[in-house]
Amino acid sequence: MHTAKRTRSNALRLGALAGTAALVLTGCLSENSAQGGGDGGDDPIRIGISLPLTGDFSEPGKGVGRGYEAWAEYVNSQGGLLGRQVKLTILDDQSNADRVAADYEKLINSDGVDLVFGPFSTRLVVPAAQVAKDYGMLFVEPAGAAEEVFTQGFDNLFYAAPAVADDHYNHLAEKILSMPEGQRPKTAAYAAMDDPFAQGTAYGLKQKLEEGGIRTVVDEVYPPNTTDFGSIAAKIADSNADIVVGGTQYQDAVNLIVALRQLDYQPKLAAFSTAPTNPEFPKAIGQQTEGILSPTGYTPEAPYPSNKEFVEFYTEQHGSPPTEDEANAWTTGQVVAAAVEAVGCADPDPECQGKLIDWLRNNEVDTVVGPLSWDEAGRPQGAHLIQQYVDGKIRIVLPEDAKEAEFIYPKPAW
Amino acid sequence: MTGSLLLQSLVLGVLLGGLYALLAAGLTLYFGVMRVVMIAHSAFLILAAYLAWFFTRQTGLDPMLSLLFTVPLFFGIGVLMQRLLISRLRPATLTMMSVLLTFSIALLIEGVLGFAFTGTHRRIRLPYSGAHLEFFGASIAVVKLIAFGLAALSLAGLYILLKRTRFGQALRATMQHREAAQLVGINTDRVAGFGFGLGLATAAIGGTALALDSTIYPSLHWHWIGPLMAIIVVGGLGSVPGAAIAAMALGLGQSLLQIPLGTTWAQTFFYLALFATLMLRPQGFFGGRLAQRF
Amino acid sequence: MPSDSDLVTVPARARTSTTTRVAKVLGLLVLAGLVISFPSLAPDSFILSVGVVIASYAVLATSWNFVGGFTGYISLGHAAYSGLGGYGTALLITRADVNPWLAMVAAGVLVAAFAVPVGIASLRVRGASFVIVSIALVLILLLVFQSWGSFTGGSNGIRLPRPFGDDVLRPEQHERFFYLHAALLAVLLLCWWAIDRSRFGMGLKAIREDEDKAQSLGVPTFTYKLVVFVISAFFTALGGGMYALWFGFLDPIFQFSILVGSYMVLMSLLGGIRSLFGPLLGAVIVGYAMEFFKAQYGDTQAHLIAMGALLAIVVLFMPDGIIPALRGLVNRFRPQAASIREVSAAELAEQRRAAEDTGGSERGEKEEVRR
Repeated sequence: MHTAKRTRSNALRLGALAGTAALVLTGCLSENSAQGGGDGGDDPIRIGISLPLTGDFSEPGKGVGRGYEAWAEYVNSQGGLLGRQVKLTILDDQSNADRVAADYEKLINSDGVDLVFGPFSTRLVVPAAQVAKDYGMLFVEPAGAAEEVFTQGFDNLFYAAPAVADDHYNHLAEKILSMPEGQRPKTAAYAAMDDPFAQGTAYGLKQKLEEGGIRTVVDEVYPPNTTDFGSIAAKIADSNADIVVGGTQYQDAVNLIVALRQLDYQPKLAAFSTAPTNPEFPKAIGQQTEGILSPTGYTPEAPYPSNKEFVEFYTEQHGSPPTEDEANAWTTGQVVAAAVEAVGCADPDPECQGKLIDWLRNNEVDTVVGPLSWDEAGRPQGAHLIQQYVDGKIRIVLPEDAKEAEFIYPKPAW
Repeated sequence: MTGSLLLQSLVLGVLLGGLYALLAAGLTLYFGVMRVVMIAHSAFLILAAYLAWFFTRQTGLDPMLSLLFTVPLFFGIGVLMQRLLISRLRPATLTMMSVLLTFSIALLIEGVLGFAFTGTHRRIRLPYSGAHLEFFGASIAVVKLIAFGLAALSLAGLYILLKRTRFGQALRATMQHREAAQLVGINTDRVAGFGFGLGLATAAIGGTALALDSTIYPSLHWHWIGPLMAIIVVGGLGSVPGAAIAAMALGLGQSLLQIPLGTTWAQTFFYLALFATLMLRPQGFFGGRLAQRF
Repeated sequence: MPSDSDLVTVPARARTSTTTRVAKVLGLLVLAGLVISFPSLAPDSFILSVGVVIASYAVLATSWNFVGGFTGYISLGHAAYSGLGGYGTALLITRADVNPWLAMVAAGVLVAAFAVPVGIASLRVRGASFVIVSIALVLILLLVFQSWGSFTGGSNGIRLPRPFGDDVLRPEQHERFFYLHAALLAVLLLCWWAIDRSRFGMGLKAIREDEDKAQSLGVPTFTYKLVVFVISAFFTALGGGMYALWFGFLDPIFQFSILVGSYMVLMSLLGGIRSLFGPLLGAVIVGYAMEFFKAQYGDTQAHLIAMGALLAIVVLFMPDGIIPALRGLVNRFRPQAASIREVSAAELAEQRRAAEDTGGSERGEKEEVRR
């Protein structure tokens, strides 16, 4: 048969090729493995991070990256951790779940890092946390807020922010339900991106409002790639709901608001997650921002002691105050640093990592977003602040004891 | 469901269908002249949208002015693509290899856009983005109306070009039977090049129309290629009027189905229509002899 | 028209000698030895995990090549079958409590059954519709698996339990899965080889070269295409299921991704779709290149540009892949082999095109045959 000849020569050639490839592969990809271990005295503490620097999550991913780098420089300028300098190794996972797992595999095995920090976005946190768990590493993450992250049985995971997604609107829910009967809205429309985090925020509020007797008249979920919001807006406008809640990220909120304005729908209250806190937001929707609400886990004005240093240090470096992404990264660093200083070790050995995990489980850490403590599954025990556009500026309006401006209700027309 | 919601959805469906029709007409042209399934069509669409966005951001002028250079530019790229790339492929495997080639061009465009403008979602800021007109209780966004107008004008122009000019005759002859067209003295290579250029020009216009009222990001083209492919199969590969009719029908269907089903499930309508067409009438509903072969 | 390799059947067999047979056995042994010793050669478990990924690519690309290589129908949407295989496995384990390995095979069978109507819809007409359906299928499955959250886990993804239990450490798990993938790959290669030698395979290759002539010669083209398509879907699903068991987490965006499907095409095409080991070679090259590029130029969109450029170069300049190109190179140094074999498919096509240009339009003749 003719194939026999082909097979022979191919097999031979392939054998040779595979041999070369294997040698090159092992040589090239693992050049760092010799430097592994690193529990010795004055070596820097190596911290491995994978971030989405390209792909769908690249914008927030880069923000988190800036926060991590600023934190490392700050720590080093203060003399390091346990007297050792801190060195970050940041890889790009291209916003891809397969990649993020391979990255942590590489960081832990080839690069021999002493500690790992979490990546951005719920989608990437779960596979990454699995790798960390398999190697017994502590996994503090800045961005996996959705409930799904905490129900997977990860005993090494801690979310370094004030609240999980479902609790973001807690202060707003209380405020609405405490309004007098006549003023209180009766119907609500929800539109959420099909994303664990965005959906979590909107559905957390939905659940609380439904329990309080506010009827849901529209409940729409749209894929992340949706660009035309005409039909969703048409449904919301047609229902004439008293309040509209968007489980949004950034651009989808802008599109939805523009589409709602095109239909001349005027709700009494409009809340969107994430997007309104973006400095570009007012320009993007044409200054019609008055009264729009948003939960936030961070504000540069927050009174916590370490926050002042953070804002000063970051502003000096970058020329602008940090946003939530940078703050979450910084918080992650603070949390891990607190555990390291308390336990007195920073090496990949499971025993040391286990001590770090135990310490965080039982202690409270002061951070730039306030004191944080965690439940068994790593959920932080707090709620987000509620911000609102008042006189063209985004201000904290809830809870009462932290407010910078009065809560506006009903919302002026947009 | 109220009557006004229904009317609103109908209006949105027609406006969307117009844009689909223009883009599907371009895809049909490529297929007609070269038997090429042009996967990169929607990537060029997004490229044009980015050029319009970039133009507006840099100059502050209206994005529609960018058409003055994107249309000739895309026409030129189309001609060059046909002459330099597509015509190099072996005739025997042309259909398959052209798919791969245009697919790789789509990846290149996506990669370059991501490189130049990052993956951030972008949207043109227009002073009139929220403006709307009342129409029997339904509101029509001005930007959507402009996009529809652009699409309708271009389609009408394309129709006149194909039906009323000598070049149009030559193009249609090439689409129907290339060898016969050669025999009557038509320079089919040049006509095919121009056909490709025309197809790409529709992407330039469509992209600008899209950029008026939509977010753009580099990987958005995957979101468009599926529905467009479904439209040209349902309409019958190679039939311009078929593509236009199918575009309108599917655009309307999608818009109306969004009321009971929601956005996500309504998108599956295109693919169900595609599978149903291939099962029941593989040549498409308006395609002729040509479609049966492919 | 017979393929170029068929043309040389007789002279090739006539020259088969003891030395070449020894070389063949040796080559296979070296390959097998390298595969078996790779886990012990790998310096750390990251390299091992890269090995698993490349082995998985090789399985998927070889599975793809059942339909791509034999019939010449290019499917850009094989990610649909690998994704369905992975999800099928995951859902059978988590919802029905099936044994993981049983679930993997059952998912493969289910996907094969699913491929039958899809094949009927897309193979009735020629290539263009087939490609369109293959892309559409990935996009529709992405929508369904994202939206049907109550069943599939939706955009939250779905996690699979470890098939080996918690006491098997991660590096050990990588090693086992590397061998499992290698075993699956061996089965695939054997099947491909067997089909290649069979009457069925001859019929399929006839379809690739000229579907109309094959049909007029009595090859049941539609049935043949459908059967090999279903086989390919089955193996792709097995590959997807095995990867899912190893990786332990499925997200619809990454499972039903056009890019994954196009990697299979690029790997097969690069290695050579007419060769048994072509997809494997392509998988090793592309898989390694991806790791290398990432290590060198991590934070850019360069991987998309590189992939696009590489695919375009392969399509334009060496559509037959590396293995035939290498074979041509080797034969140049072996004068005794210089016979009809020198006439590559590219040269044949060139002759054909030349004939076409000088008036006697071959295309026109084909139209005649079809009518």
